[in-house]
Amino acid sequence: MPYLSKLLGQPVLDSADVKIGRLQDIIVSSETSKYASVEFLLLKRGKERILIPYSYVENLSSKEVSLSAPYDKVQTVPLDTAIENYLSLGKDILDEQIVDVEGARVVRVNDLRLGIFNEQMSVLGIDVSVRGILRRIKLEWLLGGFFQPALIDWRHTQSVRGLLKLDTIAKNLDRLHPADLANVIEDLNVKAGSRLVVSLDAKSAAKVLEEVDPHLQKVLVKYLGPEKMAGILSQMSIDEVVDLFHSLSKQEAEQFFSQLKNSRLKTVRKFINYEDDTAGGLMTSDYVSVRPGWTVARAIEEVKKMSPSLRTVLYVYVVGEKDKFVGALSLRWLLISDPTEIVNNLIKYIPSTSILRPEQPVEEVMNVMTKYDLYTVAVLDSDRKMLGIVTIDDVMRHLVPKA
Amino acid sequence: MIERLRRFWPRILFFLAVIGPGIISANADNDAGGITTYSVVGAHFGTSMLWVLFLITFSLAVTQEMGVRIGIVTREGLAGIIRSRFGLPWTAFAMLLMLIANLGTITAEYAGVAASFGILGVSKYTSVIFCAVAVWFILYKGSFKTTQKIFLIFSVFYLVYIINGFAIGPDFGMALKDMVHPTLQFNTPYLLTLVALIGTTITPWGQFFIQSYVVDKGLEIKHYKVEKAEVYFGAFLTNVVSFFIIISTASTLYKAGIHIESASDAALALAPLVGGFAEFLFAFGLFVASMLGAFILPVATAYAICEAFGWEAGFDTNWNNGRFFYSIILLSIIVPAALVLLPGISLVKVMVLSQDVNGILLPFILIFVMKIVNTKEIMGEYVNKRLGNIIAWATIVGIIAATIVLVLSSFVRL
Repeated sequence: MPYLSKLLGQPVLDSADVKIGRLQDIIVSSETSKYASVEFLLLKRGKERILIPYSYVENLSSKEVSLSAPYDKVQTVPLDTAIENYLSLGKDILDEQIVDVEGARVVRVNDLRLGIFNEQMSVLGIDVSVRGILRRIKLEWLLGGFFQPALIDWRHTQSVRGLLKLDTIAKNLDRLHPADLANVIEDLNVKAGSRLVVSLDAKSAAKVLEEVDPHLQKVLVKYLGPEKMAGILSQMSIDEVVDLFHSLSKQEAEQFFSQLKNSRLKTVRKFINYEDDTAGGLMTSDYVSVRPGWTVARAIEEVKKMSPSLRTVLYVYVVGEKDKFVGALSLRWLLISDPTEIVNNLIKYIPSTSILRPEQPVEEVMNVMTKYDLYTVAVLDSDRKMLGIVTIDDVMRHLVPKA
Repeated sequence: MIERLRRFWPRILFFLAVIGPGIISANADNDAGGITTYSVVGAHFGTSMLWVLFLITFSLAVTQEMGVRIGIVTREGLAGIIRSRFGLPWTAFAMLLMLIANLGTITAEYAGVAASFGILGVSKYTSVIFCAVAVWFILYKGSFKTTQKIFLIFSVFYLVYIINGFAIGPDFGMALKDMVHPTLQFNTPYLLTLVALIGTTITPWGQFFIQSYVVDKGLEIKHYKVEKAEVYFGAFLTNVVSFFIIISTASTLYKAGIHIESASDAALALAPLVGGFAEFLFAFGLFVASMLGAFILPVATAYAICEAFGWEAGFDTNWNNGRFFYSIILLSIIVPAALVLLPGISLVKVMVLSQDVNGILLPFILIFVMKIVNTKEIMGEYVNKRLGNIIAWATIVGIIAATIVLVLSSFVRL
């Protein structure tokens, strides 16, 4: 069970015990969620670099690296073979940042543990411990028997460097909650972080970007540029898009504006005039609206239709002619009502104090939500025209931006 | 009134947020070690060392610009790049050097705190312990960024030296001549001061600091030209201040033959402008400069080391995840403060010698920077140009040569 640090630089002997070069790197398969099998050894032979398939290797240990054939019988592989599906352990992994998917964090690879898995020499784990650091600088003896190395299972990690296909990255990170993925991105450098973002589909990328710290969000968005952001912007909720545009300079904002679809663009333009810490600044236009004359069954159909494009649905909003607000119904109320019932008949009396005006400050928004136990509140203009809703998570994020 | 202040405050902060990394980094260079070293340079050697200051203004501009460029191109901190590029053993070496240099500088900051309160008659045991605890609490509980900005505002204090410099009516002709006319003395005090002068102007931590500042700010290639100009301006500005500190002490203390043994000696240089108020003003300036460094440096050190070793960093991490981060910060508050509290230690010597440590270690950090900035794989078309390489290597060779001569001189007594 050798460590990579004890393998690199070792002399490589052929079957006649003749030294044919030094081990410069180990090339492994880059399939994710599996222990990566060793595929090639990269040798430095004089000034030349050669790639030897692992099938020739007889022994790969900290004591000896040797081949099972004499060197002239070894069929080396052209150097440029190592493309898309391989990783160089020394170049791409060792000393680089890597995502610990299980722990939802970013770590530096101090060392790598190799071993036999399913009869194949593979990378089993990543050493991120202090012992790993000391081993690399030849001071491991300082620790004696204390502090065992802390290994992270290779299957639960994701490299962000090297020539990886982006969709393999996304597949592996799928298990992470958007908020955790956002934390991971915050800990990576901007280049690696944006690589992660674009590896995701637009919808997940939008969710993750919304969770990223606002300053870094701005930096990432600018780094990705209007074209790459177009798809993601169309999936982000309106209030987040508005916040983002608030933080950009006018000129920059215009560049991103031009990527939005017409209907969205109109809403964003309307919303952008509200101050950040008011109901107008917090609200989103992502909600389900139904007509007063509809039946319950039709309203439920509408929820099903809209659901894929919405983050949460807790209430449906009943809106009359010219977007006039009529009332709200909880999803639960809809579900337990008779499907043939007319929506208008189900609406209870709504006190005017339980709805918001766009200019109300966030403190009043909180008061209303607490007082009436609401998770979302409707925002109306002076003509009782429905503008949008404020959801509790947007209020929370405004209050605790760092979480 | 308070309401108005509260509305005005964000605007001040915004304005400061726009001031770029070049000026901030350069300004933070004029810390306790800086003020004291420049004062000593002028007081003990007159204007004779101004040629060094003149030359290292270019060195400072060039090295800081390289930091900015690496930051803009790689979008990564210096420590992270060193780790990726040179592997763990070299990274450990670089981090050890940086840690030693930074601990030295922080020690100078606490010496500055002790010295400034000493002028007011407060014992160092009170002032240093109080300030060390305050630094920790503000870092841990308060806002690092706001505090940093407050102290930056106060560093307008340096302007006093410029005005003072004119008030004295010094011999500018002589000063300008010394600026372009190199002279050398081969004795230990001279060489010690010379290396300190370089080490306080161009610092290892400044190299790490400016690069992470650029990265955090999210500056891009399109900002590069403006940023470059700003860095050059910052280097020029900070050394104009240094120039005036030196000629202030040169035309007062040096003329009167006073050696700086304590901070109140150094304060005398301000007497021509403010008279009896000089001691108080100097104490205030020294305190502010010290505290700015005492805040920034532990955090900068911890961020760099954590970046290099992949440990979680930031004040939003909890104690368990961020134990290395918090430990490094605590270490770099407690050890320097404790050193200053050693009985009988000369505060002025601490402030100058710590800059020597910086100066001696600086070339090694600069060599890492040079290697990186000349690697096409990392920098692409933004690798160093010839002139930049010449100036930077001249700086590196110059400091190493000065260090060797310094070491020899202390043995041979030339």
